[in-house]
Amino acid sequence: LIVRALAAVLLVGCSVPEGEYFGRVPEPDPTHLRWCNVAEPEYLDPALAVSTADLRVLYELFDGLTTFDENASPKPSLAERWEISDDLRRFTFHLRRDARWSNGRPITSADFVYSLARVLHPLTASANAETLWRIRHGKPYSAGTARLVLADGGGFRAGEAVAVEPEAPPTNLRRARGALELVSSPGGGEVWGRVPGGSELTIVELDPTRAWAYVFFAEDDGLYGWAPLAALDAPHADRVYAVTGLDRPAKGELRGRDLLMLPELLGVRAPDPHTLVLETEGPTPFLLDLSLGRAFRPVPREAVSRHPKRWVRPGNIVTSGPFHLTFWRERDRFELARSPTFWGARSVRLERVTIYSMSEQSANVNVYFQGGCDALASNGVPPSMLPALAGKKDYTAAAYLGSYFYLLNVERLPSVHLRRALSHALDRTSLPRLLKGGQIPSVSLTPGKPIATLTDGELALCGVTRDTPGVAMIVETGKHCYVPPRGAAFDPEAARRELELARAELGARFPRVVTVRFNTGFEQHKTIAEWVQNEWKRVLGLDVELESMEWKTYLKATLAREYDAARYGVVGNFADPEAEFLPQFKCASPDNRTGFCSAELDRLMAEAADERDRGARLALTRRAEAVLLEEMPILPLFVYTQHVLTRPYVRGLHVNLADHQSLRETWIDPDWRRAGR
Amino acid sequence: VIRMIAARLLGALLVAVCVATLGFFALKAAPGGPFDGERRVQPEVQRNIERAYHLDWPLWKQYAHYMAGLARGDLGHSMKGTSTVNEIIAQNFPRSLQLGLLALAFAVVAGVGLGVLAASRHNRAADHVAMSIALLGISVPSFVLGPLLITVFALRLGWLPAARWEGFASMILPAVTLGLIYMGTIARLTRSGMLETVRQDYVRTARAKGLSERRVIWKHALRLGILPVVTYLGPATAYLITGSIVIESIFQVPGLGFYFITSVTNRDYPVLCGIMVFYCLFLVLLNLLVDVAYGLLDPRIREGR
Repeated sequence: LIVRALAAVLLVGCSVPEGEYFGRVPEPDPTHLRWCNVAEPEYLDPALAVSTADLRVLYELFDGLTTFDENASPKPSLAERWEISDDLRRFTFHLRRDARWSNGRPITSADFVYSLARVLHPLTASANAETLWRIRHGKPYSAGTARLVLADGGGFRAGEAVAVEPEAPPTNLRRARGALELVSSPGGGEVWGRVPGGSELTIVELDPTRAWAYVFFAEDDGLYGWAPLAALDAPHADRVYAVTGLDRPAKGELRGRDLLMLPELLGVRAPDPHTLVLETEGPTPFLLDLSLGRAFRPVPREAVSRHPKRWVRPGNIVTSGPFHLTFWRERDRFELARSPTFWGARSVRLERVTIYSMSEQSANVNVYFQGGCDALASNGVPPSMLPALAGKKDYTAAAYLGSYFYLLNVERLPSVHLRRALSHALDRTSLPRLLKGGQIPSVSLTPGKPIATLTDGELALCGVTRDTPGVAMIVETGKHCYVPPRGAAFDPEAARRELELARAELGARFPRVVTVRFNTGFEQHKTIAEWVQNEWKRVLGLDVELESMEWKTYLKATLAREYDAARYGVVGNFADPEAEFLPQFKCASPDNRTGFCSAELDRLMAEAADERDRGARLALTRRAEAVLLEEMPILPLFVYTQHVLTRPYVRGLHVNLADHQSLRETWIDPDWRRAGR
Repeated sequence: VIRMIAARLLGALLVAVCVATLGFFALKAAPGGPFDGERRVQPEVQRNIERAYHLDWPLWKQYAHYMAGLARGDLGHSMKGTSTVNEIIAQNFPRSLQLGLLALAFAVVAGVGLGVLAASRHNRAADHVAMSIALLGISVPSFVLGPLLITVFALRLGWLPAARWEGFASMILPAVTLGLIYMGTIARLTRSGMLETVRQDYVRTARAKGLSERRVIWKHALRLGILPVVTYLGPATAYLITGSIVIESIFQVPGLGFYFITSVTNRDYPVLCGIMVFYCLFLVLLNLLVDVAYGLLDPRIREGR
């Protein structure tokens, strides 16, 4: 015990570093950036990548139609310019002509057609497929039910889109008549692999002559390639399928031979190699924001086909971004080198980038402290270290595109008065002191920057004054701002008033004890839960029990609505409340964990979805969020903050709300001491 | 002897099958699946993912599929990332092994040294100091010791790297932290073993022959005095190599321990079962080796056979 106490004293005594900067500022190498990532990336494949750790590497390797500007808003990249139709349903992108893959092949619109269809295809099993459901027929395509009618019949014309039953036998299934070579292009080319006679293959697409099929062979790690259609038997050719029109209400029956799921079904067209046309389901004002995401970033067919699961490994990988992957060791690091084939290579100033995969926050901070990396990505700092960082010049704390809130189970806490009382009882301004992480207290679902920190221009755009409480989200720089409505803020009087109303309303059904659930793994959740317990007892006299659970168990319990109140958080990919924050609270959401269902909220969201004017859409979204905060199935607590450490010599590594950066303009200033900061 | 080895190996295979079965069903019984996350994907998307990983199959079929692979020596594919379990083990186990062996070397050298020192200065100041160090090593948990050593030697003095596995310097702190507990035990075992042997007749004979004290202690007494240590080395090596999970996390050592933990939280049964099976076979082999070594060291056992 004495030893432990001694250790604690030593730790506290030794770990507070002095000076302007945190730790030692190493002599910079002007060509090389070392970036400490916050976790082990699992996937680099744009179809499969989900975590922020994945994306930090992926976005340097794969370019998109657009890329992040310093606010993480879209700016031209593979697309030089674009036109948007008045109904916001048709987007024409003009691709730059000098874009190349790292193997030298030009990047064309055909790469986008292939890649978007790939993300949606059920065989790819992409967790990001939903992002592309905005594309016409994207949803039935990823469900595997969409079919193209190949010949007139059954009341349908060739070229029409129909849907088959979800469990119908696969129309695209083929059987190789004899041993086959899968080749790199229709008509021949390089041999990518061989399949034995009798193998089952799945048709993914057909060439324009309809004589060759691009097929998938599932053995081992899988293989894609082109094969002559004439060499394939169709086991379900004569089967009769019940079909429903996707574009008009019609039903009919068609033979298997006349139905195929093909990329032509999708609202993705390549009229020429440098033009890409996207058609969306309904007006989509945030399509450009979506285009920044991983699901929209093209991938090279030649690399994916040969190694569907392992094409992102060094040696196999073909990239399009400012950097190329040269080395990867799990649980250690990624080495990236400037890609000479990148269209903007001349303006990329870093020659090498090392991204360390570090999952342990304290190890991350220690390595940074010792000079082992030039920047530490957000969320890499353990909360206990934050006080020591305050005031350091290389430390930035900023609002993050995520909200922390409590779910309130409306089935177990059925009175809106009770839910409001619970919210009124919490003085969120004490959270930053309690958690020491600069959290931004909030009584709204949608996150944003504190209004008090906005620029004058932003204040004018948002139509608020600096003393307005709450946060605001800049949805489109200079054009649209979203100021979320506010729910029940701290007010002990109102809390007790609402509690009395709830008691009267519920009578014997008034809960004797309120159970708060939270997941283990982060000390913060426990601290917050204890604070909530304390405040509800103090202000409302409620008995509160705390229950912690392992993460996956917790997810399942909240989904089964086995809780009274439970912590939750939501983080958006881009700044748009309609696309990223409200959908979870629609009645039919697969993420509906509270049991809350409001016809009014659903109606407002549906109305917004049909609206062409983005301002009007946001106004409707705001009314929907107001409904949510009126009914309070959630109890907002704070907006997340990001904690970033960046050496003074690193330039152009921007901190922004969505925490997305591109290193293509990042550089290192060896004369930083003279240049000042 | 060969029959004994064969029986041991056969037993190991049986245990491996049981362990794999246990791991498989334990993870399947735990709530949630590998692809559950904060944001739930749409049911259509979920179905595609489940199909890709055969999670839509009935449980018996998944189990049979997995065990069939296991029989071929194929530990399966991780549910996360692009690696197979065989690759994960091949890439990460050598680092756990390296760390464990370094820690063992440290524990043995420092432990035996302290033990001999203490025994030869029995009940004098050096004895007390040595045994206090040993006690400290045993009683301070590594999650306290690790950060403490990092703070002093990495952050304050700047002598050694605080984390990551690159070059010998980076291995010193994790190996010492991991080895300290075992160093303590080894020191105590050595000391008591030595105290016992120095009283034995053959040691007295050696002294009577006029051999130097150093030669008596190091050549004659130590040989028998460290037998309890050798017995202890088997389990210690096993723990050091397979039990470095906490150290790996503190020092960010890319070893197998990380995968052991994440496979449970991810419900990634191929990884969990694969590592368990691998460790199981590894431990059996290790015990065999220890038995053989024991025979070689103690003449009485050697001659008894």
